[in-house]
Amino acid sequence: MNASSDTMTANPQALEVLQGFPGTKLEQLYRQPSTALAVFRRMLPHLAKTIVMAMLYMPNPFLASDLDAWIRPDAVAEKEQALLVLTSLHIMSTSLQAQGPRAYILGKAFAKSLRQALTGSGEHKSFGVPCRPPGNDVVDVKTLDDHARRQWEDILYYMVGSTTVGVEGQSHISDATKSLLELGNFVDKRGRITQTGFTFLLQEVNAQVWSLLIVYLNRAPELLKMDSVDILSFIFMLGSLELGQGYSTANLSSTQKQMLDDLGDFGIIYRPSLKTPIFYPTRLATTLTSDASALHSSAAAPTPTFDTGLAGGSGAASKGYIIVETNYRLYAYTESMLQISVLALFTRLTMLFPNMVTGRLTKTSVQRAIAQGITADQIISYLAAHAHPQMLKSTPVLPPTVVDQIRLWQIEGDRMTTTSGYMMIEFATEAEYRDTVEYAETVGLLVWKSDAKRCFFVNRIEQIRSFMSNRRAARA
Amino acid sequence: MVKALKGVLVQCDPSIKAILLKIDADSGNEYIIEDLDEETLFVKESKVASLKEKLKVTLRETVRENTDSDSE
Amino acid sequence: MNAIDGTDRHVRDSDNSPPPSLLTVILDTNPHAWALLSDTLPLSKAVANLLVFINAHLSFNHANQVAVIASHIQRAQWLYPTPHPPRSSSSPEENGTSTPTPPSATKYHRFAIIERELQDNLSRVISQTTAADLTSSTTTQIAGALSIALSHISRATQLSSPNDSSGISLDSTGPTLSNPTDTPTDPADGTPRARRSPLTSRILIVSVSGDLAAQYIPVMNSIFAAQRQRVPLDVLKLAGDTVFLQQAADATGGVYIAPSSPSARAGLLQYLMMGFLPDARARAALVMPGGGEVDFRAACFCHRRVVDVGFVCSVCLSIFCEPLEEGECLTCGTRLSLGAAVAAKPVVVPRPKKKKKRKVGDITGTSTPMSAGTPGP
Repeated sequence: MNASSDTMTANPQALEVLQGFPGTKLEQLYRQPSTALAVFRRMLPHLAKTIVMAMLYMPNPFLASDLDAWIRPDAVAEKEQALLVLTSLHIMSTSLQAQGPRAYILGKAFAKSLRQALTGSGEHKSFGVPCRPPGNDVVDVKTLDDHARRQWEDILYYMVGSTTVGVEGQSHISDATKSLLELGNFVDKRGRITQTGFTFLLQEVNAQVWSLLIVYLNRAPELLKMDSVDILSFIFMLGSLELGQGYSTANLSSTQKQMLDDLGDFGIIYRPSLKTPIFYPTRLATTLTSDASALHSSAAAPTPTFDTGLAGGSGAASKGYIIVETNYRLYAYTESMLQISVLALFTRLTMLFPNMVTGRLTKTSVQRAIAQGITADQIISYLAAHAHPQMLKSTPVLPPTVVDQIRLWQIEGDRMTTTSGYMMIEFATEAEYRDTVEYAETVGLLVWKSDAKRCFFVNRIEQIRSFMSNRRAARA
Repeated sequence: MVKALKGVLVQCDPSIKAILLKIDADSGNEYIIEDLDEETLFVKESKVASLKEKLKVTLRETVRENTDSDSE
Repeated sequence: MNAIDGTDRHVRDSDNSPPPSLLTVILDTNPHAWALLSDTLPLSKAVANLLVFINAHLSFNHANQVAVIASHIQRAQWLYPTPHPPRSSSSPEENGTSTPTPPSATKYHRFAIIERELQDNLSRVISQTTAADLTSSTTTQIAGALSIALSHISRATQLSSPNDSSGISLDSTGPTLSNPTDTPTDPADGTPRARRSPLTSRILIVSVSGDLAAQYIPVMNSIFAAQRQRVPLDVLKLAGDTVFLQQAADATGGVYIAPSSPSARAGLLQYLMMGFLPDARARAALVMPGGGEVDFRAACFCHRRVVDVGFVCSVCLSIFCEPLEEGECLTCGTRLSLGAAVAAKPVVVPRPKKKKKRKVGDITGTSTPMSAGTPGP
């Protein structure tokens, strides 16, 4: 089943990339306080954040026994998950002291940078060097939003353009972006949208930006001779900048200066002219490391004033436009060809009015979408994310019958469940088998077991592997 | 020594499993690694998609699906 | 086979991001108490530690919010957010920080704003304290600060509730008492949590002054309000002895930590980061420091004295430290006949100390923490 891996957030994607980095590169990356802060906020599970913060100002290593005592027995699965992520990102490691009890320490570079980020100390300039434009031509937030929306929608138009009549010719994206979309397998050689492309299209804007940036990150080092650490730390820095503030390009590395052009094409940053050494992050950039959905919530930027400061986390819901009724009819209050053509992917549209379209979710239309590689969960979360404010008043937002039916349409004819993972076999002793299977069950990885055959099936293996080596070490 | 085998766990009804076993036997055992119990099979990861496709074809031939019309 | 069924196939999201959380800090700025602590923990150092703690809270989640209130000697005062935009009310400050400084390159912008506003407001609070204020009182306005904090939380909860587009209705039903633990957004409907998840709030009281008996009733009322809104009151007790704050933490399910020795106080930041930083969601997975023995004594309504044993009006449950002269309750005016009980001093039947405390605790934990031994027959 695809759906479980495609969550609508960028966390897993970006996390995977970071976990693939060698330790030395991560260490180099963590030297930037803005990166340490962004990784902390965006990549870590909640309990891992709590553990990191508890350890940040701890003078001695955190004894494993103390950690176990601190965490409730019923939260073992969460603890294991947190420790796994922390060690795989080289944020935390087991203390090197051979003697004495097992203890954990934070990576030096990460701890130092995070402390600097919290206290605002140090000589790094990782939160961007603000700069005022020459003269008084200050760029306002509206210009930035318009720029971001135009550039980003152009990319989406380009992708959708291949499927829908009447959308072509509206898109003006650069050749570099076109080839990037092709490299990311979002469109094929002839510019036709692929399965991955459909998936991309239905994601939230924030997740889309991450998807594209990750393609960029994977490809740029070989194609353009760029340093991946430089790219990533620039991306993380962008996430910590302030919307509406200009920043100087003076202290960027050559790689990062090179990136400015591409990011401008994506609408992630805005440059008034190529001559002035100044750039403005758009909302796409400043929400990179936050959860607020990027372009939809225009009021989400936390501002220091009393009232809007309060309104902070709650996005403006006014942008939703879709109404779904229990009888599968769908009304979308939109004029945007982009939104209409996205809807057309899984809806049978019947009528087009000046300010709205109506249609119906049918078995054929949904199954056609599923055949193209779109999952039911993507359709459902797209509908929920763009629901009309009127729909948001009810809980759940979408009519449950419709949600269930879309899922049922997906699994119709799907008469078996498949889980990919690992089969663990050939345990030497009954005790070894029992301990390991018990552990797999507590951390929630166990899918199937057979005591008689002394084998079991897990969907991920890293934790099991480390558990078994720990167990062996404890025995030795 | 403990071993970890990569693959896909398939869980289904016994009736479906019978069909899967037949597909496997017809193609010279290229799908299934091990028959675990009456509702569970362990299958080669690279072959899952084609196994699903074959199952769908077989079911379409044998089971009559009631197709609902798209009309309003 | 049940596994193949559309209805129970939830989106297995590995993310399930925690709800945003609002931290309201009440900083006791009682000058008398801080003067006593100045050798081991000066106010400036405590504030610096507090700022790191606040930044740590904000870095958990982009949507996390913070509010800081000073509970000063004669009034409670906002430290952050500043009630009015700083531009309009900016008077020339003595330290000359009123010029708008561009964001620093070494500081995350949000952290910098909070730090500046908090320090400006704090120095304003201190500079506006007159000598007369200092002599007139030695305690702190904790009740006022608690009320401000609770109304702020209530408002923030309303603003972040899912239906905020329909306008805020401040009707008689009061704030939505959303319990973060029992109303998680259903993962099945694929709702974006950033918008739908309710705000979880908590209050941290950093207290240095003792003797709050004078404000017994308003403090207790605030505690009950917090209990009803399910807002945990965390208490970091740096000095002084307040019976009621411990009760507050106990009644609302908050954390009570009292580092007593000077060396323990030096580790203030570690207490904050480990004991008080975990939000409601993290606490579900952690063993939080327990209160140990809670002092459930109450203050009498007539002289504000903390009493072990007293007299309770049988109608309104007001507590008095000595028999009433007219036999008339000062609160509700009921005439009470005390009979023979007044003649003798109330005698407490000697019992093992621990048992007695627990027994009192049981009574108070359920309904009201007003405890007083009734005179035995």
